[in-house]
Amino acid sequence: MSDMKLTKLTKKDVRSVFVRTWLGLQLGWNYEKMQGLGYAYAVMPALKRLYKNDKDKMKQALGLEMGFFNTTPQMAHLIVGADIALQDQLGMNDDSEKAIAGLKTGLMGPFAGVGDTVFVAIYNAIIFSITAYLCMSGQWIGLLIPPIGCCAITWVRWKLFGMGIAQGQRLATTFADSMSLFTEGASILGLTVVGGMIPSVIAYNVDLTYKVGKVTMSVQAMLDKIMPGLIPLAIAMVSYWLLGRKHMNSTRLIFVLIAVGMVLGNLQPIFGWLGGLFG
Amino acid sequence: MAISWFTLIFLTIYVGIGQLDALSAKIGLFSPVFGGAVTGLIMGDLKTGLVIGATLQLTTLGVATYGGATVPDFLSGSIMGTAFAILSGRGTAYGIGLAIPIGLLLTQMDILGRLTNTFFQHRADKYATEGNYKGVERMNIFGAIPWMLSRGIPVFIGLLFGSAVVKAINNWIPQWIMNGLKTAGIILPAMGIAILLRYLPIKRYFPYFIIGFVLMAYFAKTFSLLGTALLGLALAVIHVYNVMGNRKNNDNNEHHDDGGHAETEELAEVEIDV
Repeated sequence: MSDMKLTKLTKKDVRSVFVRTWLGLQLGWNYEKMQGLGYAYAVMPALKRLYKNDKDKMKQALGLEMGFFNTTPQMAHLIVGADIALQDQLGMNDDSEKAIAGLKTGLMGPFAGVGDTVFVAIYNAIIFSITAYLCMSGQWIGLLIPPIGCCAITWVRWKLFGMGIAQGQRLATTFADSMSLFTEGASILGLTVVGGMIPSVIAYNVDLTYKVGKVTMSVQAMLDKIMPGLIPLAIAMVSYWLLGRKHMNSTRLIFVLIAVGMVLGNLQPIFGWLGGLFG
Repeated sequence: MAISWFTLIFLTIYVGIGQLDALSAKIGLFSPVFGGAVTGLIMGDLKTGLVIGATLQLTTLGVATYGGATVPDFLSGSIMGTAFAILSGRGTAYGIGLAIPIGLLLTQMDILGRLTNTFFQHRADKYATEGNYKGVERMNIFGAIPWMLSRGIPVFIGLLFGSAVVKAINNWIPQWIMNGLKTAGIILPAMGIAILLRYLPIKRYFPYFIIGFVLMAYFAKTFSLLGTALLGLALAVIHVYNVMGNRKNNDNNEHHDDGGHAETEELAEVEIDV
């Protein structure tokens, strides 16, 4: 953070704000202000430095910082950084209160949109799918991947925090420009991994055989000749399609998949019973 | 079929810390795969824990608290499912079968925890009007208590009294249900994948999805998911370079007519409620 131009806040204040945003933003999460309480907690070292001896300004600042707030935690660093940089420059008055309130409410929505895609969906698609893939075959070494990913993300968070401080109010425009290309690249990586996961983690094989004369034929062997991973792909794509339906959500999808599992797990008895009906 | 006091208390504390991890640094303790592995390790059967945890992890890959939405608690589910699978000796399919209903049931505890924190919010609002910043700080830290209790209490009670219930289930459960649960455990990861696909721009970038699928479907014996990820990384970097190159000389933009300003596909709403 070489281009940081803070005059009143010390390095220690800045570091302390970072750690609090990192670890404490969501402790007080509640339905009324969501991350609002945690946000006030996070910027408190800065408020203390700036308004410790001015009770009225402190009250005004507390009222401002404890307003409703909710965004992807990883992205909050940008907003918190810009917030404390603005207060360092402008102090607390009606104008700066308006500017900061606008910054917070204006950016939390769009940042959550980008942040949920990058830090939650794509991150999980890459980090946790590889972890689970390794662990599924009993390799505990996979457990080392999430902590490594966490270190990388923490570094990114620190950089975003520095960007927030350096950019202040210009944050919205510069950020959107550089982020879109990054999101595209990350999406490509995520989609490649997700495509590979389907045949490797949905390890379902059709447990059904039938007899032609004296030869026992396996249905799975026939399906494999058409395309390996055909059934896993079908199950995944039907699930994808179902999630786009109006009255479907992930909890209902669980029940659908359990029902499908009940049928697929008992194919041989079911077909035996059906055969008995006609034979 | 009894669980030791040490294990009971250890897992109760672990699930509380795991929840705090989910809210802050996300080291990994919050994830079902860690929950299963830690439970397996402490109960002397790491492998069962790893497999149950990993399956639940895949099932819930795309399930995350977007915007503070409540999602099923598969960390607690993973811990209890693993514990009961090891205690009963009935294997991973049984553990997964138990973990899913437990996780769904505990959804309500998350709502209760978030609701309880409203109390601290009201106290903090009062302190703010007085300019008492230390009080505000304290209220946020107190918020950790409902978070930890909302996970710790059900895990403690579940593990303490659950073994009797589980024993009763054991004696009743027919074989075809066990077969069904086993298969359900195998195909449930499809849900995690499906939710992820809803968040990723698959319609725009489906060729990369096909590449990943083909590699692992046809070459699974010689290829690994990490290798697929590295190839994906290479493709992503090539794409980014192309777009950047096209921005510089606009005469060569047949392949990427919309440059780098494409919007990511609009986030599909994956509604989660129980």
